[in-house]
Amino acid sequence: MASEPHSQVLVEETSSVRILTLNRPKKLNALSLNMINRLLQLFLAYEEDPSVKLIILKGQGRAFCAGDDVSAVVRDIKLGKWRRSADFMSLGYTLNYVMATYSKDQVSILNGIVMGGGAGVCVHGRFRIATENTVFAMPQTSLGVFPDVGASYFLSRLPGFFGEYVGLTGARLDGAEMLACGLATHFVPSTRLSALEADLCRVGSSDPVTFASTILDAHTQYPHPKHRSACHRLDVIDKCFSRRTVEEIISALESEATHKPDDWTSATIGALKKASPASLKISLRSIREGRLQGVGQCLIRENRTVSHVMKGDISKDFVEGCRAILIDKDRNPKWEPRRLEEMKDSMVEQYFKRVEDEEGWEDLKLPPRKDLPASAIAKL
Amino acid sequence: MSENRAFQRAHILANHILRSPPPPSNLSLAREACLQYSPPELSESYGFDVKDMRRLLDGHNMEDRDWLYGLMMQSNLFNRKERGGKLFVSPDYNQTMEQQREITMKRIWYLLEKGVYRGWLTDSGPDAELKKLALLEVCGIYDHSLSIKLGVHFFLWGNAVKFFGTKRHHEKWLKNTEDYVVKGCFAMTELGHGSNVRGIETVTTYDPRTGEFVINTPCESAQKYWIGGAAKHATHTIVFSQLSINGTNQGVHAFIAQIRDEDGNICPNIRVADCGHKIGLNGVDNGRIWFDNLRIPRENLLNSVADVSPDGEYVSAIKDPDQRFGAFMAPLTSGRVTIASSAIYSAKVGLAIALRYSLSRRAFSVTANGPEVLLLDYPSHQRRLLPLLAKTYAMSFAANDLKMIYVKRTPETNKAIHVVSSGLKAVLTWHNMRTLQECREAVGGQGVKTENLVGQLKGEFDVQTTFEGDNNVLMQQVSKALFAEYVSCKKRNKPFKGLGLEHMNSPCPVLPTQLSSSTLRCSQFQKNVFCLRERDLLERFTSEVAQLQGRGESRESSFLVNHELAEDLGKAFTEKAILQTVLDAEAKLPAGSLKDVLGLVRSMYALISLEEDPSFLRYGYLSRDNVGDVRREVSKLCGELRPHALALVTSFGIPDAFLGPIAFNWVEANAWSSV
Repeated sequence: MASEPHSQVLVEETSSVRILTLNRPKKLNALSLNMINRLLQLFLAYEEDPSVKLIILKGQGRAFCAGDDVSAVVRDIKLGKWRRSADFMSLGYTLNYVMATYSKDQVSILNGIVMGGGAGVCVHGRFRIATENTVFAMPQTSLGVFPDVGASYFLSRLPGFFGEYVGLTGARLDGAEMLACGLATHFVPSTRLSALEADLCRVGSSDPVTFASTILDAHTQYPHPKHRSACHRLDVIDKCFSRRTVEEIISALESEATHKPDDWTSATIGALKKASPASLKISLRSIREGRLQGVGQCLIRENRTVSHVMKGDISKDFVEGCRAILIDKDRNPKWEPRRLEEMKDSMVEQYFKRVEDEEGWEDLKLPPRKDLPASAIAKL
Repeated sequence: MSENRAFQRAHILANHILRSPPPPSNLSLAREACLQYSPPELSESYGFDVKDMRRLLDGHNMEDRDWLYGLMMQSNLFNRKERGGKLFVSPDYNQTMEQQREITMKRIWYLLEKGVYRGWLTDSGPDAELKKLALLEVCGIYDHSLSIKLGVHFFLWGNAVKFFGTKRHHEKWLKNTEDYVVKGCFAMTELGHGSNVRGIETVTTYDPRTGEFVINTPCESAQKYWIGGAAKHATHTIVFSQLSINGTNQGVHAFIAQIRDEDGNICPNIRVADCGHKIGLNGVDNGRIWFDNLRIPRENLLNSVADVSPDGEYVSAIKDPDQRFGAFMAPLTSGRVTIASSAIYSAKVGLAIALRYSLSRRAFSVTANGPEVLLLDYPSHQRRLLPLLAKTYAMSFAANDLKMIYVKRTPETNKAIHVVSSGLKAVLTWHNMRTLQECREAVGGQGVKTENLVGQLKGEFDVQTTFEGDNNVLMQQVSKALFAEYVSCKKRNKPFKGLGLEHMNSPCPVLPTQLSSSTLRCSQFQKNVFCLRERDLLERFTSEVAQLQGRGESRESSFLVNHELAEDLGKAFTEKAILQTVLDAEAKLPAGSLKDVLGLVRSMYALISLEEDPSFLRYGYLSRDNVGDVRREVSKLCGELRPHALALVTSFGIPDAFLGPIAFNWVEANAWSSV
């Protein structure tokens, strides 16, 4: 079945491989409702199709995927239809869950921008191929949201407290850094991607996991993260980002900056001070809880939190963040609460509860999966 | 064709989320050829909100707990390993004693660097204390050695400095203790004297010419024994010793002595030996200490209770030596509080593992060629584990309640804390040992593998029944305290007030002759029967003791003769105190699923206690028929708690990584590919 060229998700078929291309290049392949729906359909179909051994997911143009289509989400909120926005997020989380519990192998080729929701459609899959063009970030705290799409699961499982660093500061990582911290499983120079794809398409009847690993290992390189990379600062990151609260993290960084002033530390402090205080506190708690939960529970919890964010009862930072960064582009958001200490524990707590006073709102119901992998299970 | 079906499924999913009718569930239940692990989460559902229940059970500082769990999971020092696709953190108990001690110390340094102990000695007030208790509990869930080594340093050494010492000691030691500049230990127990601290033989004299105390170990039985930290790491110790001033023994006092220099060399006039390998807790370096006329400055007497002037005069605000001794023993209360609650967390680990396994492991078919039956679907298996689960719940509330009264203590509540903490420490640690043994057997052979924890924990936690007061001695103290309270109220003709004895002021409750199911589950009936037992045993005990005293026996020897009654009474008091804490917790809940399930748990606790204590039959509170009804009701309750088993252990809130591999995919964990 060939797909029409204007489709937002292009499909190429070989005998045993399906190549899906996110095709919305002008929007940096930001995920629309239509795209999420289509991906969900395709993934579920391929799981039941015994001829499909491998799925390759990539992006058209200079991005893999820059995230969810936030402008549409904000538009709905402004129209007073936050439920529509929350439902859109829920559908995305369902896709994340299907990918995380997928019984076949997904190879994501990250030859460009991977941000926010874009991370959610690749990191949960088995193989993530970074290139020299990859730029990864979870920039949600600067937009007044929090790293969702299962990020509380995968960020919390990065080495030490690197996940807190990436999730709170929105720091950008390149391909080498993604490989070093485990967000990527392989690094292949972009010039060799077509050869890689061609090789992967020869999977045939062999065991797809072993086959894909062998092919990928043959193509992969091991670049060293550049001199100024955060990967060389794991000790400072562990020391500061392991602290119990956002305030303590910042104060640990400040004391680091006093003793050993350098650009990286100042930039990190700067990023935290620019981010939404509400977002920082929600994000830290989300990552900390996620560390003790399975991916399904993480998504259910994130779905609660995102509903509160969309509803905007406790803070309207999401709308404000999008205004300042994406719409007016004045890059000067007026956060409310303005300061960390004004974001009380009890307010943070609200984000982790069910939405009680909303008719028909329900916790995310994850689709039943046949072989639930261990990673999907945890208890609270 | 398959694509069409999937389209349909995706469409249904999307519609469901975008609020359309729910999709029909089409899970197939075909039998697999080989045994396959199926996570209990797939077959069991939660009848209540497990997060709310966890909040109720942990009681306080949930986020702090989760932070510390995460700190341990993210460090290789905590022996991360993967089994069956999941991460586990648990000490390597196959390491030598020396290795276990060193890695425990390294874990302590790591948590120090992360700021875990900040404020443990320098902050005060209930909130700071509760946070400290919560974090210590989490350490104990990872490894008992870790929490004991911390407990000795902060709760014994640190609290002794804080409570027995005065400003000069606080300024010199507290911050340094919190930062581990000094490493403290606590030398109280001797080879010849354990629970009977007043009999210790270490002697200290004062030399007014040099202004120094001289500490001496006069005989082998006076050597300090089991001193945690002494064998390897401690630099300083609290020394408990008789203080002899001008030939007069002023009783037991506490001093600070340095035993090692900064490089770890043992100081002159100190001899240290190792206690050697133990049945558990090998991460703690227990040692023995001899003092050979060790000289310490006069200022090292912890002088909040009594002091010696430079010219050698003994001064104390408390004239009565008994009261003075009591004041010295006060810090041991904190030890009993932490032990009681740590025992319950250990029982929770055991039950979470055993019950999760029983919800995924099958054995034997009931019908020919039928599927094998899930372990927990056997009534006998339910009967083994579910009453212990209910007891653990009940005792969890009791431990929380004890913590609350401890952190809000006032001079007026000291006696109650002493009595309640003694009873709970004994009952909860005994309960833990029994639970672990049952859990070990319930998981079969897997239980003897160290990595599955339940077996290993028996050795690790066994000592809880002995340290900080032998359980039997503590239970006798409970009965003696109740006796004293009874005698004092009767003598002054005053109503009972405190220790939960107020029910003695009302008429004795009358139990119905026939016990229907609804009577047995009624909280008022349960309370009445517990009160009746306590009241009658207290009256019997005091009257027996009074009779003997009337015949000229001393009070002490009258107690000894009546040790069986004393034991029954101590148990009656403690079990009633536990029941009361569950009733209080239940009363605070709004109507709903949480309250309902807690009601079942409470009834199970009450009825299993009735069934297990022969006192009810022995003294005739219940008839043989009654006891038969109780037994049937316990069995019914097992069936009613069965559907909640997974939710109840999930609510313990212990992260997966801190349980054993058999709690999860034990097929994959043992697969050839994982060898």
